[in-house]
Amino acid sequence: MARERVYIDADVLIIGGGTAGCLAAWEARQSGGENLKIVILEKAFIRNSGALSAGMNALNMYVNQGKPEDLVAYIRYDVCGAPVREDILLGVAGLVNETVAMMEKEGLPIKKKADGSYLNRGKWNIEINGSLLKPITANMAMKARAKVYNRVYVTDLITVDGMVAGCVGFGVRDGKYYVARGKTVLVCAGGAAGLWRPRGQGDAHHRIWYYPFNTGGSYAMCKRAGAKMVGFDSRFVPVRTKDTYAATGTMSIGMWAPMINAEGEAFMREREEYVKLGGHTAPTPIRVLAYCREMQNNRGPCYMDTTKGDPQRVDGLKAQYLDISPILVLYWGCNDINPSREPVEIDAGNPSIIGAHAAFAGAWTLGTSRMTTVERLFVSGDALGAAPSRFISGSWSCGRLAGRGMAGHIKEKRPELLELDPAVLSDLERNIFAPLERYEKCSFFTSGDPVEGVFPNQMEWRMQHIMEEYCGGRSRWFYVNETNLGIARKLINRMRREQLQYLVAKDMHQLQLAWDVINRLDVCQLVIDHIDHRKETRYPGYVNRSDYPEADDANFDCFVTSLWDAKKDELTFGKEPYEQIIPGDRKAQTI
Amino acid sequence: MPPYVIPDQCDGCQGEREPLCELVCPGNLMVIEEPTGKAVCRDVGDCWDCMTCTKYCPRQAIQTRIQYQLAFVPGKLVPVVGPHSVTWTLIDCHGHVERFIMRMLAGDEEEEDL
Repeated sequence: MARERVYIDADVLIIGGGTAGCLAAWEARQSGGENLKIVILEKAFIRNSGALSAGMNALNMYVNQGKPEDLVAYIRYDVCGAPVREDILLGVAGLVNETVAMMEKEGLPIKKKADGSYLNRGKWNIEINGSLLKPITANMAMKARAKVYNRVYVTDLITVDGMVAGCVGFGVRDGKYYVARGKTVLVCAGGAAGLWRPRGQGDAHHRIWYYPFNTGGSYAMCKRAGAKMVGFDSRFVPVRTKDTYAATGTMSIGMWAPMINAEGEAFMREREEYVKLGGHTAPTPIRVLAYCREMQNNRGPCYMDTTKGDPQRVDGLKAQYLDISPILVLYWGCNDINPSREPVEIDAGNPSIIGAHAAFAGAWTLGTSRMTTVERLFVSGDALGAAPSRFISGSWSCGRLAGRGMAGHIKEKRPELLELDPAVLSDLERNIFAPLERYEKCSFFTSGDPVEGVFPNQMEWRMQHIMEEYCGGRSRWFYVNETNLGIARKLINRMRREQLQYLVAKDMHQLQLAWDVINRLDVCQLVIDHIDHRKETRYPGYVNRSDYPEADDANFDCFVTSLWDAKKDELTFGKEPYEQIIPGDRKAQTI
Repeated sequence: MPPYVIPDQCDGCQGEREPLCELVCPGNLMVIEEPTGKAVCRDVGDCWDCMTCTKYCPRQAIQTRIQYQLAFVPGKLVPVVGPHSVTWTLIDCHGHVERFIMRMLAGDEEEEDL
């Protein structure tokens, strides 16, 4: 059946209208001039989509004191001194304050101290009223006169002679086949949630910390396009409010509330094993590890003890959470919990694969260009690897730098749009819509379930079950070893290689879910193989290898990268050296 | 906190080019049902509880409820969006009411709709 096609040509083609993408569009316009054709393809509705959709009550990257170098040294410290791309982080940290000031002018309410300066939360964060964070961010793309296509799900990048030429996808609402070309292409479609089994079941299965509609498309598309990938040996494990998985920085940094165990012991401060690892302000993975260890030793439940926090701030706790996670406020109301009078219970949610929070996943980029190893293909936000802890304000800045990079590439190299092979486009079209076509051919049980097909949610559950059991989910306290990684690889690869032929979708919404699971499975391959390759434990708490429990600096004090071989469906591993720019002890803060 | 639609209050956004909840939902979850012309969340389990639909609904027809496996009924959290702020009303299971007015946009404080 011939589908209606939409052809789009752009100078700057942006996949994902989020934190990084909107600011990339803005900056590309500033440095690329009036005539630059900027296009954004957005899976949902740009004004309200993405990880910012529920709002946010702080910006977690801001130079309140010291210099950008001190912030980067802190980021390095906070990931246990692991190698980070200091070149990239320095560029972002150097631009972040200017970007925040710009966003304040655009309408973002930033809380102030009596003297008019921004109200800081700890050393590197500031407090905001961010319920409209996404509309304000999206407005930057509008002001840049980017042409936005909403509800377009991009499935694949197209490469020609080793260069990216554009992408294809489908209209989630209109069912059309989209073919877009760009002289430069930016992938910034978020990280990957939902690879492991969620803690909440049934109608609470999306009650998770990270935005569940970011399903790894950034990583899957870059991998399939042949880009060098990095950082999938780390996973972000969120220790968050129990059941609701709302962020806890509001309590831990905002009001200095300590984690306590069932005995009321502030274990980070009082137990020697954690004090020597950094105490209350220990690196993020260590705080996860400590929480897990308390629970494993049956000293749970654990809490954030707001009763020991700053009383003035504790009183405003509910209001602060309305700007970031209103569900938690309702949860308190429905469970008779008063967080100013009693400690708030916490739990570890399942890992997310991300690059812009305190983890490393993404595409490898050349210098500070934001270009991947595939010519003309750029990444930013969660899609950019090895440069953790940029958060929202850093992703805005990172997006701006990507926009500059693309506009600069167009000015200097004068790339032309590349011709796309009609046969390739037809193959991709067939592949994209295949789950719908298969459903049409199915016969059905009396229940309405297809005899010859598997629905996307059924495949998702199978994938989550495998990852949970064999790739160190929450129920395994994030422990893995070579044996269970081998089982995970075997089962996930069987799904990817043999089972996707049964994936069916009965409507366009299910086609979106089908591509979500296809992309997630591709990310699972990256995660399993990267974790297996790093035969050491560099991020205890995130990934605990029971067979290699120590860090192995002789072999792994570097970035581990992979390239996907499409013919063999295997990853080939390599290493990139770590370059320390900011001198000093990597496991210490400078201020 | 998946969205549930109160039938008497939802008019399917007649007059709008597209029903607002359907327009904004990041998860593509809100749809207008054919026979009734009213909105419904096609899979409440897929909702991330961002509350965008609830804030946008011009008739306050969407009630967000917390999953029963996580909390008791019949508490409610109701946002009313003004030009510069959101007024939130939290009614706990015993009927105790708390109200919060949260700034949304920077600008002249005098102009706020308080």
